Amino acid sequence: MILALLIPIYEAWQDDDIWQKMLAFASIATKTAIMMLLISVLRDDWSIGVVAVIILSVGNAGLMLLAHLIKQLNFN
Amino acid sequence: MIDNYTYIIIIALLPLSALMLVFQVNPYHALVIRAILGAISALVYALLGAADVALTEALVGTMLAVTLYVIAVRSSLVMRLGILKESEVEAESYFTELISSLRKVINKYHLRLELVEYPNLPALEAALEEKEVHAVCTKQKKLELLQRNRNTATDVRQTYNTAIRVHRLFEIMQSELAFPETTLTYVTVPNMEEKH
Repeated sequence: MILALLIPIYEAWQDDDIWQKMLAFASIATKTAIMMLLISVLRDDWSIGVVAVIILSVGNAGLMLLAHLIKQLNFN
Repeated sequence: MIDNYTYIIIIALLPLSALMLVFQVNPYHALVIRAILGAISALVYALLGAADVALTEALVGTMLAVTLYVIAVRSSLVMRLGILKESEVEAESYFTELISSLRKVINKYHLRLELVEYPNLPALEAALEEKEVHAVCTKQKKLELLQRNRNTATDVRQTYNTAIRVHRLFEIMQSELAFPETTLTYVTVPNMEEKH
Protein backbone atom coordinates (compact mmCIF):
# COMPACT_ATOMS: atom_id res chain seq x y z
CA MET A 1 0.00 0.00 0.00
CA ILE A 2 2.86 2.36 0.81
CA LEU A 3 4.54 1.54 -2.50
CA ALA A 4 1.23 2.18 -4.26
CA LEU A 5 1.12 5.54 -2.49
CA LEU A 6 4.57 6.42 -3.83
CA ILE A 7 3.44 6.09 -7.46
CA PRO A 8 1.05 9.10 -7.51
CA ILE A 9 3.52 11.12 -5.40
CA TYR A 10 6.16 10.60 -8.08
CA GLU A 11 3.61 11.43 -10.75
CA ALA A 12 2.68 14.69 -9.00
CA TRP A 13 6.33 15.59 -8.69
CA GLN A 14 7.44 15.10 -12.28
CA ASP A 15 4.36 16.03 -14.32
CA ASP A 16 3.79 19.63 -15.34
CA ASP A 17 0.11 19.38 -16.26
CA ILE A 18 -2.14 20.60 -13.47
CA TRP A 19 -4.82 18.00 -14.26
CA GLN A 20 -2.30 15.19 -13.83
CA LYS A 21 -1.47 16.70 -10.44
CA MET A 22 -5.15 16.80 -9.50
CA LEU A 23 -5.45 13.17 -10.55
CA ALA A 24 -2.49 12.27 -8.35
CA PHE A 25 -4.06 14.21 -5.49
CA ALA A 26 -7.34 12.31 -5.86
CA SER A 27 -5.45 9.03 -5.83
CA ILE A 28 -3.42 9.97 -2.75
CA ALA A 29 -6.43 11.32 -0.83
CA THR A 30 -8.43 8.16 -1.41
CA LYS A 31 -5.50 5.90 -0.60
CA THR A 32 -4.67 7.64 2.66
CA ALA A 33 -8.32 7.47 3.76
CA ILE A 34 -8.45 3.74 3.00
CA MET A 35 -5.21 3.25 4.93
CA MET A 36 -6.76 5.07 7.89
CA LEU A 37 -9.75 2.73 7.71
CA LEU A 38 -7.37 -0.22 7.72
CA ILE A 39 -5.55 1.15 10.77
CA SER A 40 -8.84 1.68 12.57
CA VAL A 41 -9.83 -1.96 11.92
CA LEU A 42 -6.41 -3.24 13.05
CA ARG A 43 -6.54 -1.25 16.26
CA ASP A 44 -10.27 -1.66 16.80
CA ASP A 45 -10.47 2.11 17.26
CA TRP A 46 -13.83 3.49 16.15
CA SER A 47 -12.94 7.18 16.34
CA ILE A 48 -10.23 6.83 13.68
CA GLY A 49 -12.65 4.89 11.52
CA VAL A 50 -15.28 7.62 11.70
CA VAL A 51 -12.66 10.23 10.82
CA ALA A 52 -11.51 8.13 7.86
CA VAL A 53 -15.05 7.82 6.52
CA ILE A 54 -15.60 11.58 6.85
CA ILE A 55 -12.32 12.33 5.07
CA LEU A 56 -13.17 9.85 2.32
CA SER A 57 -16.56 11.40 1.61
CA VAL A 58 -15.90 15.10 2.22
CA GLY A 59 -12.48 14.97 0.57
CA ASN A 60 -14.08 14.01 -2.72
CA ALA A 61 -16.45 16.97 -2.45
CA GLY A 62 -13.48 19.26 -1.83
CA LEU A 63 -11.75 17.80 -4.86
CA MET A 64 -14.75 18.64 -7.05
CA LEU A 65 -14.76 22.21 -5.72
CA LEU A 66 -11.05 22.62 -6.44
CA ALA A 67 -11.45 21.16 -9.92
CA HIS A 68 -14.24 23.63 -10.72
CA LEU A 69 -12.12 26.58 -9.61
CA ILE A 70 -9.14 25.44 -11.68
CA LYS A 71 -11.33 24.74 -14.71
CA GLN A 72 -12.74 28.27 -14.67
CA LEU A 73 -9.28 29.73 -14.55
CA ASN A 74 -7.80 27.79 -17.43
CA PHE A 75 -10.39 28.56 -20.07
CA ASN A 76 -10.95 32.23 -19.41
CA MET B 1 0.32 -5.06 14.94
CA ILE B 2 2.14 -2.51 12.84
CA ASP B 3 5.88 -2.71 13.26
CA ASN B 4 8.17 0.26 13.68
CA TYR B 5 9.55 0.18 10.13
CA THR B 6 6.10 0.75 8.68
CA TYR B 7 5.66 3.73 10.96
CA ILE B 8 8.97 5.19 9.84
CA ILE B 9 8.22 4.72 6.14
CA ILE B 10 4.78 6.32 6.38
CA ILE B 11 6.07 9.25 8.44
CA ALA B 12 8.94 9.74 5.95
CA LEU B 13 6.34 10.53 3.30
CA LEU B 14 5.59 13.77 5.13
CA PRO B 15 8.98 15.52 4.64
CA LEU B 16 9.08 14.11 1.10
CA SER B 17 5.86 15.85 0.09
CA ALA B 18 6.88 18.96 2.04
CA LEU B 19 10.07 19.20 -0.04
CA MET B 20 8.01 18.78 -3.20
CA LEU B 21 5.85 21.68 -2.07
CA VAL B 22 8.82 23.92 -1.26
CA PHE B 23 10.51 23.40 -4.63
CA GLN B 24 7.40 24.05 -6.69
CA VAL B 25 7.36 27.47 -8.40
CA ASN B 26 3.96 27.59 -10.09
CA PRO B 27 1.41 28.81 -7.49
CA TYR B 28 -1.45 26.59 -8.67
CA HIS B 29 0.69 23.48 -8.79
CA ALA B 30 1.99 24.33 -5.34
CA LEU B 31 -1.57 24.51 -4.04
CA VAL B 32 -2.43 21.06 -5.41
CA ILE B 33 0.73 19.69 -3.78
CA ARG B 34 -0.29 21.41 -0.54
CA ALA B 35 -3.52 19.41 -0.74
CA ILE B 36 -1.46 16.22 -1.19
CA LEU B 37 0.62 17.19 1.85
CA GLY B 38 -2.61 17.68 3.81
CA ALA B 39 -3.86 14.22 2.89
CA ILE B 40 -0.58 12.56 3.88
CA SER B 41 -0.34 14.47 7.16
CA ALA B 42 -3.92 13.46 8.01
CA LEU B 43 -2.82 9.84 7.54
CA VAL B 44 0.20 10.36 9.78
CA TYR B 45 -1.88 11.99 12.52
CA ALA B 46 -4.40 9.15 12.41
CA LEU B 47 -1.56 6.62 12.52
CA LEU B 48 -0.19 8.24 15.66
CA GLY B 49 -3.63 8.11 17.25
CA ALA B 50 -4.80 11.72 16.96
CA ALA B 51 -8.11 11.33 15.14
CA ASP B 52 -9.35 14.84 15.94
CA VAL B 53 -6.19 16.47 14.59
CA ALA B 54 -6.45 14.37 11.43
CA LEU B 55 -10.04 15.46 10.87
CA THR B 56 -9.14 19.13 11.36
CA GLU B 57 -6.18 18.86 9.00
CA ALA B 58 -8.27 17.25 6.29
CA LEU B 59 -11.22 19.62 6.53
CA VAL B 60 -9.50 22.94 7.26
CA GLY B 61 -5.96 22.45 5.98
CA THR B 62 -6.78 20.60 2.80
CA MET B 63 -10.25 21.72 1.80
CA LEU B 64 -10.86 25.20 3.13
CA ALA B 65 -7.36 26.69 2.97
CA VAL B 66 -6.58 25.38 -0.51
CA THR B 67 -9.93 26.49 -1.94
CA LEU B 68 -9.62 29.97 -0.46
CA TYR B 69 -6.02 30.27 -1.67
CA VAL B 70 -7.00 29.25 -5.20
CA ILE B 71 -9.62 32.00 -5.21
CA ALA B 72 -7.15 34.54 -3.83
CA VAL B 73 -4.37 33.67 -6.28
CA ARG B 74 -6.82 33.59 -9.17
CA SER B 75 -8.02 37.12 -8.49
CA SER B 76 -4.61 38.63 -7.73
CA LEU B 77 -2.26 37.07 -10.31
CA VAL B 78 -4.07 38.49 -13.32
CA MET B 79 -3.44 41.14 -15.95
CA ARG B 80 -6.65 42.82 -17.06
CA LEU B 81 -6.43 44.12 -20.59
CA GLY B 82 -9.13 46.48 -21.78
CA ILE B 83 -10.09 46.20 -25.44
CA LEU B 84 -12.69 47.71 -27.71
CA LYS B 85 -15.62 45.54 -28.63
CA GLU B 86 -15.41 45.90 -32.40
CA SER B 87 -11.73 45.06 -32.56
CA GLU B 88 -12.54 41.49 -31.70
CA VAL B 89 -15.40 41.32 -34.15
CA GLU B 90 -13.05 42.24 -36.95
CA ALA B 91 -10.90 39.30 -35.81
CA GLU B 92 -7.77 40.49 -37.48
CA SER B 93 -4.87 38.14 -37.46
CA TYR B 94 -2.68 40.87 -35.98
CA PHE B 95 -4.92 41.22 -32.98
CA THR B 96 -5.11 37.52 -32.17
CA GLU B 97 -1.37 37.28 -32.68
CA LEU B 98 -0.84 40.18 -30.29
CA ILE B 99 -3.05 38.59 -27.65
CA SER B 100 -1.31 35.24 -27.95
CA SER B 101 2.15 36.78 -27.71
CA LEU B 102 1.06 38.81 -24.67
CA ARG B 103 -0.21 35.59 -23.15
CA LYS B 104 3.09 33.87 -23.86
CA VAL B 105 5.04 36.62 -22.10
CA ILE B 106 2.92 36.78 -18.97
CA ASN B 107 2.58 33.02 -18.69
CA LYS B 108 6.28 32.97 -17.87
CA TYR B 109 5.46 34.96 -14.76
CA HIS B 110 2.49 32.69 -13.89
CA LEU B 111 0.05 35.48 -14.63
CA ARG B 112 -3.24 35.18 -16.47
CA LEU B 113 -4.59 37.47 -19.17
CA GLU B 114 -8.16 38.60 -18.78
CA LEU B 115 -9.78 40.49 -21.64
CA VAL B 116 -12.33 43.13 -20.64
CA GLU B 117 -14.48 44.52 -23.42
CA TYR B 118 -15.65 48.11 -23.55
CA PRO B 119 -18.14 49.59 -26.03
CA ASN B 120 -16.24 52.72 -27.04
CA LEU B 121 -12.96 54.59 -26.65
CA PRO B 122 -13.99 57.03 -23.86
CA ALA B 123 -15.22 54.15 -21.71
CA LEU B 124 -11.91 52.38 -22.27
CA GLU B 125 -9.88 55.43 -21.23
CA ALA B 126 -12.13 56.01 -18.23
CA ALA B 127 -11.60 52.41 -17.16
CA LEU B 128 -7.84 52.92 -17.25
CA GLU B 129 -8.20 56.12 -15.22
CA GLU B 130 -10.45 54.42 -12.67
CA LYS B 131 -7.95 51.55 -12.33
CA GLU B 132 -10.46 48.98 -13.49
CA VAL B 133 -7.92 47.52 -15.93
CA HIS B 134 -4.14 47.30 -15.86
CA ALA B 135 -3.64 48.03 -19.54
CA VAL B 136 -5.63 49.03 -22.60
CA CYS B 137 -5.01 47.99 -26.16
CA THR B 138 -6.31 50.31 -28.85
CA LYS B 139 -5.88 50.85 -32.53
CA GLN B 140 -3.84 53.86 -33.42
CA LYS B 141 -5.77 56.70 -34.96
CA LYS B 142 -5.73 56.83 -38.72
CA LEU B 143 -4.62 60.45 -38.94
CA GLU B 144 -1.68 59.90 -36.64
CA LEU B 145 -0.76 56.84 -38.61
CA LEU B 146 -0.83 58.73 -41.89
CA GLN B 147 1.42 61.43 -40.51
CA ARG B 148 3.86 58.84 -39.31
CA ASN B 149 3.86 57.14 -42.65
CA ARG B 150 4.83 60.36 -44.32
CA ASN B 151 7.80 60.76 -42.00
CA THR B 152 9.12 57.23 -41.75
CA ALA B 153 8.27 54.27 -43.87
CA THR B 154 8.98 51.75 -41.15
CA ASP B 155 6.01 52.66 -39.03
CA VAL B 156 3.45 51.22 -41.41
CA ARG B 157 3.11 48.00 -39.47
CA GLN B 158 2.54 49.66 -36.10
CA THR B 159 -1.20 49.52 -35.82
CA TYR B 160 -1.82 48.98 -32.12
CA ASN B 161 -0.99 50.95 -29.04
CA THR B 162 -0.87 49.32 -25.63
CA ALA B 163 -0.96 51.64 -22.65
CA ILE B 164 0.09 50.04 -19.38
CA ARG B 165 -0.52 51.60 -15.99
CA VAL B 166 1.47 49.21 -13.79
CA HIS B 167 5.19 49.92 -13.99
CA ARG B 168 6.40 46.38 -13.35
CA LEU B 169 4.16 45.05 -16.12
CA PHE B 170 5.51 47.73 -18.43
CA GLU B 171 9.08 46.68 -17.67
CA ILE B 172 8.27 43.04 -18.36
CA MET B 173 6.53 43.86 -21.61
CA GLN B 174 9.28 46.21 -22.77
CA SER B 175 11.99 43.65 -22.25
CA GLU B 176 10.18 40.54 -23.44
CA LEU B 177 7.38 41.38 -25.85
CA ALA B 178 8.80 40.91 -29.33
CA PHE B 179 5.88 42.03 -31.43
CA PRO B 180 6.45 44.83 -33.92
CA GLU B 181 2.79 45.68 -34.53
CA THR B 182 2.27 47.39 -31.21
CA THR B 183 3.82 50.30 -29.39
CA LEU B 184 4.08 50.27 -25.63
CA THR B 185 3.46 53.31 -23.51
CA TYR B 186 3.55 53.73 -19.77
CA VAL B 187 0.88 55.97 -18.31
CA THR B 188 0.84 57.26 -14.78
CA VAL B 189 -2.62 57.41 -13.34
CA PRO B 190 -2.97 59.89 -10.49
CA ASN B 191 -4.18 58.52 -7.22
CA MET B 192 -7.72 59.83 -7.20
CA GLU B 193 -8.71 58.53 -3.81
CA GLU B 194 -10.12 61.37 -1.78
CA LYS B 195 -8.85 61.88 1.73
CA HIS B 196 -11.51 62.32 4.33
